[in-house]
Amino acid sequence: MATQVTDGGPAIIQTSERRIVIPTNILTAIVLAAVGYWAGVQLGESFGLNDGHNTGVLLGYSFASIMFLVGIGFASYPLARLFGWRVTPQPAGDDHTGVWRYLNLSLDHKVIGVQYLVAMLMAMLFGGIGAMLIRTNLLSPDQSVIAPDQYLTLVSMHSVMMVFVASAAIVGPFGNFFVPYMIGTNRMAFPRLEALSFWLVPPAIVILLAAPIFGGFQTGWTGYTPLSEQADQGFDSYIVGFTLIGLALVVSGVNMLTTIIRLRAPGMTWTRLPIFVWGVFSASILGTFAAPILAAALVMQAFDRTMNTTFFISSAGGSPYLWENLFWFFGHPEVYIFILPAFGIVLELLPHFARKPLWGYKTAVVGLLGVTLLSWFVWQHHLFMSGVAPAIRPFFMFSTEMISIPTGIVFLVAFGTLWRARISMSVPMLFCLGFLFNFLIGGLSGVFLSDVPSDVTLHGSYFSMAHFHFTIVGGEIFAIIAAIYYWFPKMTGRMLNQTLGKIHFWWMMIAFNLAFMPLFAAGLLDMPRRVSTYAVDLQTLNDWVSVWAYILFASMLFFAFNVIWSWFFTFKVAPANPWQVRSIEWMLPTPLGRRNFETIPVFTGPPYDYGNPNAKPVADLGGPSDSGRRGLGAEPVPS
Amino acid sequence: MKSPNRTHALRLLIAWAVLSVIGVVLVMQIQFPPGDQSRQSADESSLLSLMAVLSTPVLVGVVLFILYAAFAFRQPAKALEDGPANYGNFRLQVAWIAITAVIVFVLAGIGITQLASASTSTDFSGTQLGTTSPVGGAGKSLQVQVIGQQWYFTYRYADYGGVESTHLILPVDANVVIHVTSTDVLHSFWAYQLGVKADANPGVDNVAYVTTMHTGSFTVRCAELCGIWHGNMSDTNGKVVSQTDFATWIAQLQKDNAALTLPPYAPAYFPSPKVKGT
Amino acid sequence: MVIYKQTIVLYGSRVVVSHTPRVGTRLLVVLLGVAALVALLAGFVVSFVLKTPQAISGVSATSYDGVSIHLETVGAVQDAIDFPQPNNPHPTWVSYLPTTTLKVPANSVVTITIDQEDSASGLRNPYWSQAQGIIGGQFHMDYFDAQGNPQSGDFTKLDDASTPAHTFAIPDLGVFVPLLGISDAAPAGSINVITFSFRTGAAGIFHWQCFVPCGAGTIYGNGGPMQTLGYMGGFLVVQ
Repeated sequence: MATQVTDGGPAIIQTSERRIVIPTNILTAIVLAAVGYWAGVQLGESFGLNDGHNTGVLLGYSFASIMFLVGIGFASYPLARLFGWRVTPQPAGDDHTGVWRYLNLSLDHKVIGVQYLVAMLMAMLFGGIGAMLIRTNLLSPDQSVIAPDQYLTLVSMHSVMMVFVASAAIVGPFGNFFVPYMIGTNRMAFPRLEALSFWLVPPAIVILLAAPIFGGFQTGWTGYTPLSEQADQGFDSYIVGFTLIGLALVVSGVNMLTTIIRLRAPGMTWTRLPIFVWGVFSASILGTFAAPILAAALVMQAFDRTMNTTFFISSAGGSPYLWENLFWFFGHPEVYIFILPAFGIVLELLPHFARKPLWGYKTAVVGLLGVTLLSWFVWQHHLFMSGVAPAIRPFFMFSTEMISIPTGIVFLVAFGTLWRARISMSVPMLFCLGFLFNFLIGGLSGVFLSDVPSDVTLHGSYFSMAHFHFTIVGGEIFAIIAAIYYWFPKMTGRMLNQTLGKIHFWWMMIAFNLAFMPLFAAGLLDMPRRVSTYAVDLQTLNDWVSVWAYILFASMLFFAFNVIWSWFFTFKVAPANPWQVRSIEWMLPTPLGRRNFETIPVFTGPPYDYGNPNAKPVADLGGPSDSGRRGLGAEPVPS
Repeated sequence: MKSPNRTHALRLLIAWAVLSVIGVVLVMQIQFPPGDQSRQSADESSLLSLMAVLSTPVLVGVVLFILYAAFAFRQPAKALEDGPANYGNFRLQVAWIAITAVIVFVLAGIGITQLASASTSTDFSGTQLGTTSPVGGAGKSLQVQVIGQQWYFTYRYADYGGVESTHLILPVDANVVIHVTSTDVLHSFWAYQLGVKADANPGVDNVAYVTTMHTGSFTVRCAELCGIWHGNMSDTNGKVVSQTDFATWIAQLQKDNAALTLPPYAPAYFPSPKVKGT
Repeated sequence: MVIYKQTIVLYGSRVVVSHTPRVGTRLLVVLLGVAALVALLAGFVVSFVLKTPQAISGVSATSYDGVSIHLETVGAVQDAIDFPQPNNPHPTWVSYLPTTTLKVPANSVVTITIDQEDSASGLRNPYWSQAQGIIGGQFHMDYFDAQGNPQSGDFTKLDDASTPAHTFAIPDLGVFVPLLGISDAAPAGSINVITFSFRTGAAGIFHWQCFVPCGAGTIYGNGGPMQTLGYMGGFLVVQ
């Protein structure tokens, strides 16, 4: 009998030859998620305590997420193994072609990279709309556009959405897509975990967007107790959504670390590892070890809301400090999850476009790992004003300022690379240079915040808000956009329009700086964060910021137009190596084959050996005849 | 023939030095908030100014380098040559790390010294809670409690029988110990011109110190998200007044408060109901 | 029309797929996608913008230069007597009625009459049991005492901080008025009527709120209605 099943079905065949077909695809997933939500709510409502219906909503979200994953096909393989069904090696999604392939479970890291990219851009759009609404409300101090409770919900949703984006938008799309190429493997160590790390994201985004239905939540992304304990069921979105993202970080981190450690091709020594892979590697360390803390703390919040526990309620023996410490013990490594892969991108792109070897490669690696290490020892700088023991503050002040040493290394490496280079001023390079400027402003303002006495004035003000927008938007988002322009031809087979790209860069760079630079002044002039109203004399400043924020948003729409236009309406296949650079992914044909390498490559030289007449090629790709050389990772995508 | 390295470096160095000096001079003209109403705010102003001065050369240097590289090291369009294969310079790397480390140590040193002096150079030990004391006398300090509640700060004067007020009025030239607490969620008491910020936690007595120097009014805001009216939780009517005015004011406050039954002054007030759901 | 060839490498076997891009179809799909996304985003935006409650204006008083406003406070919106709210999404929430956006003229006297129908929750900070910022420093109250007998009188404060059901407070104008809760002994359906006046200054928008943690069922009583515009707080728009 045939072992192949009908369209879209997983390859699950009972040994008795009786066919059991569960059509696992996105539609099944949505239906099952709805059923799961309903079942969870019923269950929660039937035994929930007097808790304002939180049990129902929490269980509803959780069941919906689990059933969504079942519907997309994550349960098929374990179930088949459990019941002894015969399993064909190929997962459901990879039988599909065209767009449908991207809407279903695929264990192909290339598909997952594109899925991640699109999901992240969508999420960024929602977060950006939130930002525009925030700025609209701040056009005048009289709170007339958006009710203050709705405004705070918007602030919270914007921040949480953007944190979702920031924590996954580099490792997700580019890490998943290019790390296997860069280290020379056909597969990830755990393709199912990799797929899971993506499929946890859509439920998280949808659940977060559902928050306004239940009254929203007015806690900001920090979710400080006891304020969060006062919040309605909208806060359950925060708990479940953030937990899902936390799980995605852990799962993706484990997969990345194992892949990078175990599946490097012959010749891919640690000192030849592209710096981007080092960035992903260090961010994965942080994701793997920091996100569980968040997940655990969120479960404690869920218990407080549903089971009358009092982890964070001081009047009943708990402590809000517990949440603050747990949150920031995750939260500070989290912000380095944002920026480390961005460092990786910028340091990866600089040598290619400066056409010089990466200057001080080993020092750069030390810098990235130094940030990784130090990021565990700085979290209490978020709590300088909270009433923590004063004696502990000098330590955290010192450790925070220490981080500028490895960060300084990144700048040194960038400068060394640019020194007497032959800079090819293409769009990715422009965004890299923009990154250096913006991140410098972000970093310098960070020093102001790290010193306790000056932090007294700056803490919790628009100064700190401007600071982290300079590091995350001006830093990470600029790096992401550089990466999109750089790798888009390889990912989709189409070049992004470079002229539009240059316009986009200047538009975005100017609008970003004019929008966010005045916010430093707003903070110094007594404007706290997350306020729906402000002192009347700051209106001109806020109006200026709002107008430039609109222009910044328009630049992103312009970018979206460029992406859609170039991707779907340009019918010219991009050249295999449009930038004429050395890295291995550009040695492969465009469009890429479904399988990365016919034979596992042997790396013969470092990726940045420009200007060296004796440079060896990056890798020996072998040929079709070279079939005897099937080494590590050479097997087909496994089940 | 001079090496191109040296030419570029010399140009950059001179430009950097000139622009840095100009930048520093300009930055020194800026009057940094929060002003000099208290010794703490004066310290913060001077520290902010110092940091701005210190970071100006860094800013100038990096921006200058990026711009210089973008123009001097750019290759013509359509050309595709490689730069020199330079893999690094060990001495330069060590020097850079050493310099950043020294800057960090200096900055941290300044911060730690200031932090230490903020609470040790003045005797804030003062009086015991609840006992009346002359304001600003040698070794005496005024104990004021800030109670954050959704969504207003009220103030109790421990030394004057725990009387309560809706505005914070402080005498000038006084050492003030501010005890910040909350009855519900986290707030953050931010007296901008006084240079004070301290989170209000339920059940916690968070202590901050102020030495008032000049009379005038100040703004109080909440700097920690505390719910729907967080943005409105401000009071522009805080005042530092002369000692005699303060005595008059507090006497009037005591009179106004006479008929009220307030709970005994305590370091913190646990909210009621204590357990949720009741 | 450009015809191009795409090569897909499938597990070692090369499959050559060639097809003509159908620009019209593609354009339609992309436009539909963009339209759907824009609709989604518009829904998201509208859901936030349109949640501001309606405003009521003060009614001009005849006997003095100013306006009067009649409000009702209820323990649950569904129990409203003066201002029934059949379509309120939260029928069990405590609330001020009919709305919480109050428009009053600048530099005039505003008289507020509140039909208070809720039972006491008690103040967390007893300081608020004292009336402040109102004309004469006194508010008038027709109420039921602890024994359930109807009483009437002028007060500067409530003696027992556990008796208020709510407060009416405009912190920026310094107005704080405690509203006595219906005592347990009072007959069912009793109403305490509280009247007070205050003077408005320059034009502006001021928030007003309740200081009694009256959002029962949520920790510390400050959730739900206390943190949603239109229930236990709103704006005083001075024009």
